[in-house]
Amino acid sequence: MNVAAVVALVVTQQTDTTVPVRAGMRLDVENFGGEIVVRAWNQNSVRVQATHSSRDRIDVSAERTTVNVRAESRRGLAQMVEYQITAPTWMPLNLHGVSTDIEVDGTQAAITAETVQGELKVRGGSGQLSLKSVQGAVKLQNAKGHIDVYSVNEGLTLENVNGDISAETVSGDVTLQGIESANVEVNTVSGDVHYDGTIKDGGHYRFATHNGDVTLAVPERANVTVSVATFNGDFDSCFPVSVTTTTKHRFSFTIGSGSARLELETFNGDIKLCRPGQLHDKHHDDQEDN
Amino acid sequence: MTRDQWTDRLSEYLDGDLGVAERAALEAHVASCPACEAILAELRRVVARAQAIHDLPPTTDLWPAIAQQIGVSSGGEPHGVVSLAARRARRRLSFTVPQLAAAAAVLLLLGSGGAYLTLQRGTSPVPPPRPRSLEPGREGGRRPPLVGWEKTRAKYDVAVAELESALEQGRKSGRLDSATVRVLDQSLVTIDSAIVQARRALAADPGSVYLNQHLADTMRRKLELLRRASAFAPART
Repeated sequence: MNVAAVVALVVTQQTDTTVPVRAGMRLDVENFGGEIVVRAWNQNSVRVQATHSSRDRIDVSAERTTVNVRAESRRGLAQMVEYQITAPTWMPLNLHGVSTDIEVDGTQAAITAETVQGELKVRGGSGQLSLKSVQGAVKLQNAKGHIDVYSVNEGLTLENVNGDISAETVSGDVTLQGIESANVEVNTVSGDVHYDGTIKDGGHYRFATHNGDVTLAVPERANVTVSVATFNGDFDSCFPVSVTTTTKHRFSFTIGSGSARLELETFNGDIKLCRPGQLHDKHHDDQEDN
Repeated sequence: MTRDQWTDRLSEYLDGDLGVAERAALEAHVASCPACEAILAELRRVVARAQAIHDLPPTTDLWPAIAQQIGVSSGGEPHGVVSLAARRARRRLSFTVPQLAAAAAVLLLLGSGGAYLTLQRGTSPVPPPRPRSLEPGREGGRRPPLVGWEKTRAKYDVAVAELESALEQGRKSGRLDSATVRVLDQSLVTIDSAIVQARRALAADPGSVYLNQHLADTMRRKLELLRRASAFAPART
């Protein structure tokens, strides 16, 4: 055992606290460094397990509407805390970190999760879901509601998600699979965009990048008016399309009745449309090549 | 009436400002003119996007001061100010084709910050960064002079400078760690590079609605990133 490990054993402390909660309350956690992991259970209580420095104290306070979880240090802000929290499935979560990874599993409530340096992984969630990271990928699975995901320099992945979606990053790919939505807006400056999901009648879909390709699965029976814009790039489709209007950098065509609106834009990159199965196979092959 | 004359009146058509006879004549012309039909479709898209802009509440303490400085709403509704829904309802875009494109561009540019531009007839129409009409020699036509863009652009530059300064302070104070600063710097370089490319493309093709929108979108992203970055700096006491 080296010196560092011995020191770590000496200074590390465990805290384990459980507080009762009632419907209508929310969980609010702030952490400077480390991780926040929240699992859901069917009990009306919040259990907070924390691994932290012996110089830090974990404060769990249940107020009228909120359970607050904070770390305090005799020397100012606590630096590193590893939280393992178990909360009711119905409890909305408000999680904030700086150098913190955040993971949520199994909740059926609204989630706000923000970190500067760290990954965000969420399985579940319902209602308002806002996930934001500067330096870290964001992954959301099996969720429904009004969804807003943001990263600065990493990719965004949404799988089996149902609801209005806004996804934006500066440098990173945006991949949406198994989406059920009538309203999707995706933007990246440098990265590819991939969408495989519903195109609902009357829906509005917009996928835009500056440097990157846009690939999209259009279901067989979709009714959509498609607008394609690219400055330096090509358009390709696995199925025949009949262009109706053309301007210098943009053209449009209609599939079926055209009731949904689909905007595809890339300044430097290609745009490709396929059927759902074809696109999945191609995307899978591309990922394997990389 | 020539195609150019009709093109010049498409925004009036969209605003419902044409008389019955003119409206019918324009619709008949558009039906037989694919180019006019395409332009009309683009303008409809611009209007739809401009009306659908989400006015998000500000997320940083810096924003109200900046918003005030650049002359947009900073959230909240002071006494006597109409609601957002009412603002949207009364947004009317009544410009020439390039003016309309650029007006939408500015809406997109400022829209995410709770922006409020009163885009009514005769107020602050804004041309692309390097104004040049789709129709040479028609800049001084029936529409008001293109005076708003430079002002808006100056406000944008002020906002960017303010936020860059805040970011620099966060960097110097050590509130932002070096890895985060590096990521933000890289991301700003990425966006700036995209802005340069979009500007070059627009200079070569100033009438392109797509390029106008794309440039505005990219500039808005820079503003948004800087806003977020200024909020990232935590109190590390």
